[in-house]
Amino acid sequence: MSLITEPRSTAMPARDGPTTSPARRLRLHVWIAIPVFTALALPLLATLLYAVSTRWGATLLPDGLTLEWLARLWSTPRFIAAFGRSLFVVAGALMLSLVLILPVAFLAHTRYPRLDRWMNVLILAPFAVPPVVSSVGLLQLYAGGPLPLVGTPWILMLTYVSIALPFMYRSLINSLRSFEANELMEAAQLLGASPLTAFFNVILPNMRLGIRIAIFLSFSFLIGEFVFANMLVGTRFETLQIYLFNVRRESGHFTSALVITLFVFILILTWLGNGRGEITAPEAGDT
Amino acid sequence: MSSAPAPLSTPDATPASPETAVAERSTVSDSLVAEPPSADSRYLRLQGLSKRFGTTSVFEGIEADIARGEFVTLLGPSGCGKSTLLRAIAGLTAVDAGHVEVDGETITHLPPQKRGIGMVFQHYALFPNMTVFDNVAFGLRMHKVPSAERQQRVDETLSLVELETHAHKHPHQLSGGQRQRVALARSLVLEPRILLMDEPLSALDARIRQHLREQLRNIQQQLGLTTLFVTHDQEEALMMSDRIFLMGKGNILQKGDGEALYTRPESQEVAGFMGAYNCLDAQQASSLLGYEADAAQVVFRPEALYLKSTTDEINDPTMTSNLGPGCGGVIVQRRLLGNVIRYRVECQGFALHVDALNRGARYLLPEGANVMVHADLEEARIL
Repeated sequence: MSLITEPRSTAMPARDGPTTSPARRLRLHVWIAIPVFTALALPLLATLLYAVSTRWGATLLPDGLTLEWLARLWSTPRFIAAFGRSLFVVAGALMLSLVLILPVAFLAHTRYPRLDRWMNVLILAPFAVPPVVSSVGLLQLYAGGPLPLVGTPWILMLTYVSIALPFMYRSLINSLRSFEANELMEAAQLLGASPLTAFFNVILPNMRLGIRIAIFLSFSFLIGEFVFANMLVGTRFETLQIYLFNVRRESGHFTSALVITLFVFILILTWLGNGRGEITAPEAGDT
Repeated sequence: MSSAPAPLSTPDATPASPETAVAERSTVSDSLVAEPPSADSRYLRLQGLSKRFGTTSVFEGIEADIARGEFVTLLGPSGCGKSTLLRAIAGLTAVDAGHVEVDGETITHLPPQKRGIGMVFQHYALFPNMTVFDNVAFGLRMHKVPSAERQQRVDETLSLVELETHAHKHPHQLSGGQRQRVALARSLVLEPRILLMDEPLSALDARIRQHLREQLRNIQQQLGLTTLFVTHDQEEALMMSDRIFLMGKGNILQKGDGEALYTRPESQEVAGFMGAYNCLDAQQASSLLGYEADAAQVVFRPEALYLKSTTDEINDPTMTSNLGPGCGGVIVQRRLLGNVIRYRVECQGFALHVDALNRGARYLLPEGANVMVHADLEEARIL
């Protein structure tokens, strides 16, 4: 509970304070917020409690509290390795898709508006086919032949690129739409910048927020991906989710500790990503 | 424009005070071909510029010479190709045919960053991630100007547009007028050979627009900057320009100073755009206003027509003696434009627009009143 409400409960009053919204509206807002957050936080709270309890059997509350499970998890080399693999695959996929999509989104927005229509269809393609089906297809394609990728992290990375595509493309395009990318390019060129210099000096800095959103959205989605990981690489390249699946029978406390660790990790990352002040934010509502 | 009619309607009006020699010459004879060629009068040359998008022609065979230090306005309705022409000169849009020459150098095939042309956009196009100072310094940085000189030039330019106290702010902290001044400073700091402005004042509210017009014109004259300004606002064009190029449907219809364009339109399109001209055919001109001409079209500006109440004296004390025989009619509409009142008078089934100076309530004629319409025959314009 404290994990999910803490950043909010400190941030909200600070933001609402100076605007002095009517007391009645504030109360309504609180009355809606509290049940919703409780409903969302309850399972997490239970998991957290389970992860730090010695034994939680027939009683309403656990018998005692301990950090043993978390300590044991963090000292398990297999967990550290799986975590590392997951990070490696996801980070690689994100980097690759960003390098791939950023120029495409920029060109589709500025130069070739027709490309945008095609991209919108294309980015939905990975979602039109259920992961189980498409992974079978990928297995057939890359099991042998000239490109035997199955079982290697590379096939997972490439598959993740295609999954991250829509998140990436949409948030990048939206970011480009939030300012007059075309005019800024033209203005920069008239001031003596080459197209490339203009892109790096003028376009990219204004897309920072969009890029960050694209990355965190895709990250939190991909780090929890199980189906493709299990089908395409399985135990040959044990990612975090596969590890979680494999140790699920060992101890409920242990897996709870794992889930909480992952949750806190993503929470901190997202918080870091959105917490920083942003220059383009106020510009968006401006004409 | 609304304050213009009184001095303009005097029949013996001579070009009031043309600001440059070029403007004067062009009022005397509108053909520029006869001018003696000189490098300064042809600082910016457009030769046979054409552009089409697919099958539709945006502009065709544009020919124009603009003198050094001249302020020329491209005036025309939206969609007439004036903005595209400006972009073509800047190098942002490729032309299909023709040449752009600046100071004797053909720049048609140069990319925008090598043309030495500055441009101000309607929506400012300031870099939101940079402060005012960095926005203005951007061009200097791109041209590798050393930082000490950069600092000095940016400071100078910012004080020219009276923004020196806002240097550290970001664009979103500024008002529209201030933003446009930053955009202007950003172009000026590079000392461009030509300054292009694409409806720079259209996004601003009336009061700020008025103020910025004067400031813009002052700066332009102070720096002797050759300027091409695009607007669809006739009043703006008349107030600011040395010369106006009136564009319509991809062509320049007429070039000349404001007075020439306003009082001596050469075609019906020009007359139609430059105010509420009354267009009559020869027969109507003769039967309604007593003007005999062997021409297809006769046009009268609304302020060259005068109303006389049938029961009373002539309604307008500024009325001259050289009036044609009157024609009876009924006022069907009366609009107050401020210092001018615009009447619509129906004479024998034909609607005439008549402008009268708003001299006071006692001179106003009510709707439905029977009146006589007289024309100042000297002000008739044959097309």
